Amino acid sequence: MRLSWMFMAILVGCGESDKDSAGSGVTLDRSVPEVSLPEPTLRRLTRVQYDNAISALLGGGLVLPSSLDPDQVTDGLRAIGASLTTISPRGVELYEDAAFDLVQQALASPENRAVLVPCDETDDGCGESVIAEFATKAWRRPLEDEELSTLVAIAEQAEDVLDDFDAGLNYALSAVLQSPHFLFRVELGEPDPSGDGRRFTNHEMASRMSFLLWNTIPDDELMRAAAAGELTEDETLRTQLERMVADPRFEDGVRAFFTDMWTLYQLDDMTKDPTVFTHMSPEVGASAREETLLGVVENVVYEDGDYRDLFTTTRTFLDRKLASIYNVRAPVREGFGEAILSDEGVRRGVLGQVSFLALQSHAVNSSATLRGKFVREVLLCQYIPPPPSDVDTSIPEASADAVTLRERVAVHLEDEFCASCHQLVDPIGLGLEQFDGLGHYRTTESGGVIDPTGELDGVAFSDAWGLAGAVSEHDRLPRCLTQTAMAYASGHSVTDGEQDAVEYLDAGFRHHNHSVSFLMTDLVMSVAFRQAGEIE
Amino acid sequence: MKPLSRRDVLRGMLAGTAVSVGLPPLEAMFNVNGTAYAAGGGLPLRFGLFFWGNGNLPERWTPTGEGTDWTLSEQLEPLAGVKDLITVVSGMSLHTDNVYPHTSGSSGILTGANLLAYEDGRQDGTFEIPSIDQLIAGHIGGDTIYRSLETGAFPGTKGNSFNGPNNKNPPELSPIAFYERIFGSTFREPGEEGVVDPSLALRRSVLDAVMADVEKVNARVGAADRIRLEQHLTGIRELELRLARLAEDPPSLESCMRASEPAAEYPQVEGRHPVSDIHRAMTDLLVMAVACDQTRVFSHWFSDPLTNKLYPGATMGHHSLTHDEPGEQPEVNMITKFIMGEFAYMVEALAAVPEGDESVLDHMVLLATSETSRGQTHSFEEMPIVLAGGACGGLNQGIHYRSHTGENASKVMLSLVRAMGINAPTFGLGAGEVSDGLSAIQA
Repeated sequence: MRLSWMFMAILVGCGESDKDSAGSGVTLDRSVPEVSLPEPTLRRLTRVQYDNAISALLGGGLVLPSSLDPDQVTDGLRAIGASLTTISPRGVELYEDAAFDLVQQALASPENRAVLVPCDETDDGCGESVIAEFATKAWRRPLEDEELSTLVAIAEQAEDVLDDFDAGLNYALSAVLQSPHFLFRVELGEPDPSGDGRRFTNHEMASRMSFLLWNTIPDDELMRAAAAGELTEDETLRTQLERMVADPRFEDGVRAFFTDMWTLYQLDDMTKDPTVFTHMSPEVGASAREETLLGVVENVVYEDGDYRDLFTTTRTFLDRKLASIYNVRAPVREGFGEAILSDEGVRRGVLGQVSFLALQSHAVNSSATLRGKFVREVLLCQYIPPPPSDVDTSIPEASADAVTLRERVAVHLEDEFCASCHQLVDPIGLGLEQFDGLGHYRTTESGGVIDPTGELDGVAFSDAWGLAGAVSEHDRLPRCLTQTAMAYASGHSVTDGEQDAVEYLDAGFRHHNHSVSFLMTDLVMSVAFRQAGEIE
Repeated sequence: MKPLSRRDVLRGMLAGTAVSVGLPPLEAMFNVNGTAYAAGGGLPLRFGLFFWGNGNLPERWTPTGEGTDWTLSEQLEPLAGVKDLITVVSGMSLHTDNVYPHTSGSSGILTGANLLAYEDGRQDGTFEIPSIDQLIAGHIGGDTIYRSLETGAFPGTKGNSFNGPNNKNPPELSPIAFYERIFGSTFREPGEEGVVDPSLALRRSVLDAVMADVEKVNARVGAADRIRLEQHLTGIRELELRLARLAEDPPSLESCMRASEPAAEYPQVEGRHPVSDIHRAMTDLLVMAVACDQTRVFSHWFSDPLTNKLYPGATMGHHSLTHDEPGEQPEVNMITKFIMGEFAYMVEALAAVPEGDESVLDHMVLLATSETSRGQTHSFEEMPIVLAGGACGGLNQGIHYRSHTGENASKVMLSLVRAMGINAPTFGLGAGEVSDGLSAIQA
């Protein structure tokens, strides 16, 4: 309870009216939610987090492992899968290989080694200090004496047998990288000294903040703040938070969140028939992801813009490849440049981008159902049940009466049984039919004129441009982002006991012009992020 | 520095140091190796799985005739050269729930159980219990360097080799990486000495420390995490054993030799992966891994359930074709026949490796199956099941068994598990569970 009051004080005292970027003069009125949190569980580092942590620990320029235990997606997020999956026997082998290989690479590079081993190896205690510093950073917490002595013993044993200082280090540092203290996020909480229940410890907070906002391990300053007890106090926590959001690494955190939420990782393994899509090449997937993420980063990190604008903006970032798919002039010869799409056309926002249009399509044709399902499930958080297993789900082939996809899938919407779900998704996807299975604009399909009109929950639209507007103004859009951000930050699907916390964050998000960076900082300051559930 | 002799290393390992644990006696650990075979220990039984996604077309799949007097169907015709070595089981059904197209079927056929369900009744893509390959590996995988091996053919394949919930063994998809893993610097041909390398003992010391860390975390976490960490520990113990085994002399197996090195890359041709080339390269490596007793259990994921990859010569992705290709689905038919041709290559390759008077295939069973029969309706009836190999006389070969009553496919799985010498009372859970095998396929 005391914690709740503390929050109220903060909100009234320094938070809301100062930060009221809405300029409406209306003060946000919300009371701190009561939360009941599930048992905390270990989260395995995602593949990208592993790579980022390695670079932070061993320095850049290393050849990163080609394969590790793959990320698992659960309930739409890799962040949730990470709380459920474990390390497979094959994974143990892969992580072992990777650890030795990476440490060896770093020690073999004079530049990397100089940072890793700042002391003279003949000096007393040099090896020990290197190991202690490395392990503290990698495990995101101070080492216990016994842990350090075990690691030092490993190094000494290896140095004795192989007669080489660096070989000794290699074994000790590789042990650090294979440990569950590194591969898993051990954030289990402690009794809250200021009240009932449990909270995350200072070092756990450092880790939680760092992985959420930077997608990597804490830096030295955050570790210092944790050691000084600053991350369980509102004011000092906020100071660190503001520093982190202003840091260039915030971009990595934002990229990771949107990549997970919008499944942009799938673009690495996208199948498109190049004999049908002449613009298709293996690089298209990566280019399309970069376009989307550049737009997101611009909105969230650099402009502190309105999340909803991501769906209606005509500004985007294109390379030559994408420019040719969009049939516009490439803004730059190399890399990505800013481009403004014509407001005479139908393409705007994320729903007009290849990353969405091509991914939510098949290998040779578009899919109204997949595209509509993405909008419902990912953007609006409305669960669409899978089709029953024992029905023929084939779409009738094109005939003289039914040329376009809209005419062919009419059966989905006429049959009462199919329509119960398909009416929720198909009309959205049919509004996007002027984009083919890769995202190229077209007005006809097999000679038939495409009709892109439709309605989204009572809002009529005449084409993809209008649909983008309807999605951006949909009442569920902000709330869905809040809910997904909560799940992403906590590593579990939002439970009943956290609904009030979602409401609380959602109110702040709306009040602050749907600023995603506000949402993320508000989330870190919230009880739902700082309190821990009981361990049974 | 003077290189350590193998004896020194072993002595060092046994003596133990501050951070290494004592080993169990070597004799106890390595009682099944080349010497044991020579002493009449018998040849080991092996299990292989060949899995492909999106099923078949039952009306073009089911052979005519039953028992020993039968004729291959159109889709099985590519197996003509090995007809005497295979058994086709048709008419079997999955009795598990068909809730999620493709994923329910994967769990149904490979575990005889439903997918793991959440409290709210929803199910996710994870199995509740180990897949049949891991169930078998748990019993017969302990005596080889690799408890099991998982491979795939199409790039991006994820496989469904489950150790337990949320714990999948990722398949190796690169032939050259797979070659280096099995036949790289640590591989020894029969007659050579074991690996003499002091780093093996050091690596084991590291693993001991890691294991102690896992135990320490384990003491603080909740029940769900304890299961996960136990699984992590299992993996570490397996790697420790593997490192210990590398120091042993390799088993003396007549057909074992270092496999030849595959191509470094398999570039796409017109947007299609050269899946046949990748599959055959993987098969050649797998066959030699089995012949060298590197493993006794493998699962080869030719393609994933729901895969929408483009097959050579196909005009749409495979999954799209199963739903949207009109009429008799000639392209789906072509793809199924193509897959059976690739399966035939694996059967032939295993049959071509002599072991005593017989072949490797005679001493194993290879199961080919998919997560559905007709992909268009995700049907659980008429499940495609082809077996190859005699399991050292435990299984019949050269027959077509047809169930006219839609018997539970778990019966076949239970027979296979038992044919591996495993005394399993049942296979599957709930509606998919059986306690009787399929006697018609058992010798």
